[in-house]
Amino acid sequence: MLVVGAGCAGMRAAIEAFDAGADVALLSKLHPTRSHSGAAEGGISAALGNASEDDPAAHAFDTVKGSDYLGDQDAIEILCGEGPAEVYRLERWGAVFSRDERGRIAQRPFGGAGRPRTAYAADITGHVLVQTLYEQVVKRGIRVYEEYFAWKLVEDGGRCVGVVAWDLLRGGLVGISAKAVVLATGGLGRLYAGSTNAYACTGEGMAMALHAGVPLKDMEMVQFHPTTLAGTGILISEACRGEGGFLVNRDGERFLARYAPEAMELASRDVIARAVQTEIDEGRGLDGNVLLDLRHLGAERILERLHGTRELAITFAGVDPIFEPIPVRPGAHYQMGGIDTDVHGRTALEGLYAAGEAACVSVHGANRLGGNALLETLVFGRRAGADAAESARRARGGDVPEAAVRDADAELRALLGRSEGERPWRLREELAESMRENVGVFRREEQMERELEIVEELRDRYRRVVVEDKGDVFNTDLTQALELGALIELARCVVVAALARRESRGAHARPHDYPERDDAGYLRHTLVTLAGDAPEVDWKPVTITRWQPAVRAY
Amino acid sequence: MRVALKIWRVGADGRALREYEVDAPEQATLLDVLDLVKDRCDGTLAYRKSCRMMICGSCGMRMDGAAVLACGVRMRDLVAAGRVPVISAMGNLPVVKDLVVDMEPFWAKYRAVNPHLQPAGGAAADGREPEVAPERLSAIHKESLCINCGACVSECDAMSSDPDFLGPQALAKAMRFVGDPRDGARRARLEAVNGKNGIWQCTRCYFCNERCPKGVDPRDAIAKLGAESIAEGIDRDPGARHARWFVRSAVTTGWLREAELVPRTQGLAASLRQVRFAARLARAGKLPPPLPPHAAERVVEARRLRDLLAGQGREGYRGIVQGERALGRIVRGHVEALDRDPYGPGSFPRPWLPGARAGAEEAEETAGGGR
Repeated sequence: MLVVGAGCAGMRAAIEAFDAGADVALLSKLHPTRSHSGAAEGGISAALGNASEDDPAAHAFDTVKGSDYLGDQDAIEILCGEGPAEVYRLERWGAVFSRDERGRIAQRPFGGAGRPRTAYAADITGHVLVQTLYEQVVKRGIRVYEEYFAWKLVEDGGRCVGVVAWDLLRGGLVGISAKAVVLATGGLGRLYAGSTNAYACTGEGMAMALHAGVPLKDMEMVQFHPTTLAGTGILISEACRGEGGFLVNRDGERFLARYAPEAMELASRDVIARAVQTEIDEGRGLDGNVLLDLRHLGAERILERLHGTRELAITFAGVDPIFEPIPVRPGAHYQMGGIDTDVHGRTALEGLYAAGEAACVSVHGANRLGGNALLETLVFGRRAGADAAESARRARGGDVPEAAVRDADAELRALLGRSEGERPWRLREELAESMRENVGVFRREEQMERELEIVEELRDRYRRVVVEDKGDVFNTDLTQALELGALIELARCVVVAALARRESRGAHARPHDYPERDDAGYLRHTLVTLAGDAPEVDWKPVTITRWQPAVRAY
Repeated sequence: MRVALKIWRVGADGRALREYEVDAPEQATLLDVLDLVKDRCDGTLAYRKSCRMMICGSCGMRMDGAAVLACGVRMRDLVAAGRVPVISAMGNLPVVKDLVVDMEPFWAKYRAVNPHLQPAGGAAADGREPEVAPERLSAIHKESLCINCGACVSECDAMSSDPDFLGPQALAKAMRFVGDPRDGARRARLEAVNGKNGIWQCTRCYFCNERCPKGVDPRDAIAKLGAESIAEGIDRDPGARHARWFVRSAVTTGWLREAELVPRTQGLAASLRQVRFAARLARAGKLPPPLPPHAAERVVEARRLRDLLAGQGREGYRGIVQGERALGRIVRGHVEALDRDPYGPGSFPRPWLPGARAGAEEAEETAGGGR
């Protein structure tokens, strides 16, 4: 079997499959330790109960409420129930978690969580988990197709039989056959200007699934992180607020008192992002930012627990948070939606699985809580790996047909053969700027309609783009063009789903036309599929086990 | 701002230094400028990138001959100084194209140090984590910051003369496990790094510490491995014997006794082959006569230093002074002006101190149903 994507979810899936006896390989366009999971900062939430009394049900309730009741509660109960064991397992594998004075794994408060539940390694938790998982991959000798760009899923006889990928270092398309494929390709943050995401976060896994006929779920649910650096969009961790940082406006006012008087800075991200955006929009910001003030935490605590944040603030904003507040604004951060899967990672296509940010189980619903993304990668990466290994064992051999590689090659040569026309970068910038402008923190019907037109126009221009590098060796001009193709397809899905959801729920805020949550009409998931060439929206019920929808206040 | 730079382009048809000029925003990093060059000037330019926030380790390259992460270099000061930096691929690794190197030799050395935790005990009965004091894990804090970017390897002096040297990254990785109180393979790991391509090949040039973008300080990790090895009694390598003799010489006579250094380090047989060389050194006044021993006036000071370290329980890596200073830098940070008042003049906005709720109450009063 093959796992595409080698961040936390992909590596966790591959390790589980290997341990179950599967012949498994990882494939990634990056070296595994370069994956964007490594940029996760604040932590991983699980009811370990080290910092206070806690239990998985409390974690599950916080997650359900955080999701604005759009999360599937069966999946959330699994996430929170299996979470502690996964954290202990990573610790056992060597993850260097920060410890409390008793020597237990330390846990800090995080937004939307009723208790201090987020385990962490200073503010480089993702880095530590990626390193640990890669060490386990190396220990097992799991084969890694490093710097292979997965481009097409191959289906044969109603089953996924592998992928066609471009070998970045040597050049050339190769078919890689597998009896089961797990997509763990991460998010699509690069769809937005000012995103916190790496350049690599361009959503190919979601786009490949879409083209294979697999529905994408809740694509309108894009999380905006409240605290990112202006200009670069670099993430300033929620750990800053977990450790006690304040958000203030230009008047020095802790404005969250007006939006979330109980939880203040520890309300959930959608609430804070809207509060920050409102302050900026109503002229109480400073050059389009508000200020994150850590000074009262003191140098010692900042240096011990937030050293990564300090390094980022100094390098990219010229601000030392020990002495000055950090200017921050909301930026696109995480795709709650993704490839529709069940709790085993299975998709609508036999033999195809998805896990992590690429997937939508859905545990995050309309708004993800900080600390739950890393947890999801481990819990559902493991489950997808286990089930895919089992599926591969039962499946009869299917191979990537030669014709699939030949067809893909012809398409690629046509792209490389064009020498007159527009280069992709201008389209990429127009797409990202317009998405930020038109499908951002607050959404208006007419802006989204306009965005749909913009995306259709970009889609048309994309058919004629020119790749300047015609060579085989490390041709990132080519792969960046392919990434743009995926982003344009996914932009359509985000916009049509956003237009279809005529309510305000979690990250999807329509204050001008549909300011309220509408459980009668929209307590259900959007599903986007391609009907011919056009995206089509369908609906899927939300699974409710223990918690009926209630008013959501922080 | 207008940014100019020169890039060593490398391809199948040879290499050439090309100059490019682009308009870039004030806050642009080297990586941003490379992106502008690739988009606006030449799409064939090859380099790696991903996170653009100094955590993925993709964009290691050289600027004016020194390894950097392209995403971590702000260009404004260089532009202001009128500099036109020269960008090239990292050293000590084969160039694939332009700024892209083949990282496989790097990863081969990484794999050679068995880079995974080998737990010392069985799993706890309740499946929970073992209790580990925070300060014991902070001993490997720096080593666990490594992002595998290759900047240290690029600059490694020893590796440039001995390509088989395990090198700074792999050795820092080894120290990350040797220093981990949960690891049970300490002795085997130390034996492994004492092999012929191991720690004693390091020339102590310190370029790895100098160029590491994350403060891992690999040379300090190598020193810690050396100290741990000697503390474990693994001292067969001439490098270890050399280090031991320095200590022995210092605490017996307070000075280094050069005439004894070579036989103590290399053994008698090897030293005999160098008698003529020693004689020439002596004639030139470069070698003090071995007798009477060259003794310091107050040998006791040197002994006190040793006793102080022993009294503080600083065996092995804990006795590495440069390691301690560098570790201090992480714990304390590079703060030149810790005494500056963060709430003093010029601080804006008025900082909110814990418990200072007055402003929040005012805000609530004026909120007017803003929820």
